[in-house]
Amino acid sequence: MKIRILTLSLIITLFSCKNEQKENSKLNVVTTTTMITDLVKNIGGEHINLNGLMGSGVDPHLYKASEGDVTKLVNADIIFYNGLHLEGKLVEVFEKMERQNKTQVPLAESLDKSGLIGSEYFASNYDPHVWFNIQYFKQFAKKVAAVLSKKDPKNAASYLENEKRFLAELETLEVKVKATISTLPQEKRILVTAHDAFNYFGKQYNFEVVGLQGLSTATEAGVKDVQRLASFIIEKQIKAVFVESSVPKRTIEALQASVKAKNHEVEIGGTLYSDALGTAATKEGTYIGMFEYNVNTIVNALK
Amino acid sequence: MNNAQIEIQLIASLVAMACAIPGTFLVLRKMAMISDAISHSILPGIVIGFFITQDLNSPLLLFLAAFTGIITVVLVEYIQKTGLVKEDTAIGLVFPILFSIGVILIAKNANDVHLDIDAVLLGELAFAPFDRLIWFGTDVGPKSLWLVGSILTVTILLLFAFFKELKVSTFDEGLSASLGFSPIIIHYGLMSVSSVTTVGAFEAVGAILVVALMIAPAASAYLLTTNLKKMLILAVVFGVFSAISGYWLAHFLDASIAGSITTMLGLVFLLVYLFAPSKGIIAVTYREKQQRTEVSLLTFLLHLKNHDELEERHVNHLREHINWQKVRAKSVLELALKNNMISIEKNIVSLTKKGDAFTSKAINYIITNEDAQIEDMKDDFFLFRG
Repeated sequence: MKIRILTLSLIITLFSCKNEQKENSKLNVVTTTTMITDLVKNIGGEHINLNGLMGSGVDPHLYKASEGDVTKLVNADIIFYNGLHLEGKLVEVFEKMERQNKTQVPLAESLDKSGLIGSEYFASNYDPHVWFNIQYFKQFAKKVAAVLSKKDPKNAASYLENEKRFLAELETLEVKVKATISTLPQEKRILVTAHDAFNYFGKQYNFEVVGLQGLSTATEAGVKDVQRLASFIIEKQIKAVFVESSVPKRTIEALQASVKAKNHEVEIGGTLYSDALGTAATKEGTYIGMFEYNVNTIVNALK
Repeated sequence: MNNAQIEIQLIASLVAMACAIPGTFLVLRKMAMISDAISHSILPGIVIGFFITQDLNSPLLLFLAAFTGIITVVLVEYIQKTGLVKEDTAIGLVFPILFSIGVILIAKNANDVHLDIDAVLLGELAFAPFDRLIWFGTDVGPKSLWLVGSILTVTILLLFAFFKELKVSTFDEGLSASLGFSPIIIHYGLMSVSSVTTVGAFEAVGAILVVALMIAPAASAYLLTTNLKKMLILAVVFGVFSAISGYWLAHFLDASIAGSITTMLGLVFLLVYLFAPSKGIIAVTYREKQQRTEVSLLTFLLHLKNHDELEERHVNHLREHINWQKVRAKSVLELALKNNMISIEKNIVSLTKKGDAFTSKAINYIITNEDAQIEDMKDDFFLFRG
């Protein structure tokens, strides 16, 4: 008898919980990186419940789930993520969730693969840091708007309007960025950072990009890498190297020290946002603000 | 609470139980570190199993991993038997070698298959509910729940079937051998169960939590009881309590679940370590203080017995003569008075009849080198302990 009452109460609690979730009629959308969170916020606006898994300054390669993330994922209708193995093991989880009537959208996977930069280090063989090409980010925006409109047709007009506005903002950003970078002469366009996050940026704006750690932040730089890069900096007379918000400063400081040991000076040009945006309230907390900040920091330091 | 949250707590509790049972025997056999060794050295087994099956969920991985676990134990014992190094050194030698073989195998093949150390070693409890087992088209629950559940069932069945053998061989290998069940077979059986549990719990909760769940609850239980059955039950209770309270700690802090459970395990051990009735640090400190006072009391009584001179027995004189601090002198004096060992007249201390009898007996024991008897005698004479 006791057991029966126990099972009954357990069943009741289970069902009552289930009902709570469905009360809210807004689409529940979960995103991974802060760049994608900002993008979806721009398109979805007030019509969706948006939950980003990764906070500012979180390295997507090394993300660890917290208890709150479980509930976010359980309630999710749509999951937008970068893909191309940027999120590591998380993607396996998303793929398994496909069976449970959750739409999962790997944004970078739908890009035209021929334009992507190959990589022998990364499991997918493509460099996943595609958001540093504004054109690709525009395609992200279109994809997000399309998926949201399909899933939530009654707000489709609003999503498309937001898409139009956001694409225009990105266009303005592109013009601004090009203007700023054009002030930097070609021979000074060498970008030295902690890991290879800026390949798409370099390709788009004719920068030579040199990363110390390789694509995945999980691998550490060896002494030889540091030495080789130090000689390179001296040879090319590079004025500044850059720290990244989601990668520890240590390695780049080691680089600076070994340049100094060879009687040359190299500045730390500033902190670039690579795999995550800045804190939410600041200007760098948005994709557009982050991009402008990065470009200004790079151009000012290398000039 | 939603379903996923209930499932996570259920998985965590089952893992805690499955780990606490072999963990108890490991702690009793002073082999706690072997669980850490196994948790690392099974890596090559998992990797080779993966190369053969190309599936991280294949049962072959379990068998191969358990097999490497046993190899670890064999190697450790082989090195240890040479007598050149101690057991902890042998453990330290064996598991890094096996682990690094696994790492090298992964590194050599990481470009072809998606198999990195994270993917193999670190299960994430938070995502366990999303990996469902589909049976004939219906969802019957998370995969790891079934995996851990079956391991737990087998462990419990083995425990009931071989409880007597396990008990005897753990506490008295010689007796076990003479009774006809080989301690070696029991030993390797236990190691196999530990290996399988470790591997099964890997996917579900990750390596660090497995080691913590094996050792911490058993170590806490060890401080509370000397009865094997009670120790097993306590270890399971501590494990499950930490699993569930750790989950809610993670909920309120919005933090990593495995990390919070480990924190709770540490906290439970700390509390037990401090407050356990007989082995806890507070109880031990109290007992030591009591003993010190009682030894002082005995010295004091001997002093009184040896000296008839009034000046030697003056209350104020005690401090100078036996060189006690004021506080201790006072507490010893009070203890002696409370136990009717002495009487004080005009600040002169003298032994009572009872005190005299006690002291004479104690002297006898000291002379005949039977100091241990004094402890028993205290029970007869003392109304109040120090």
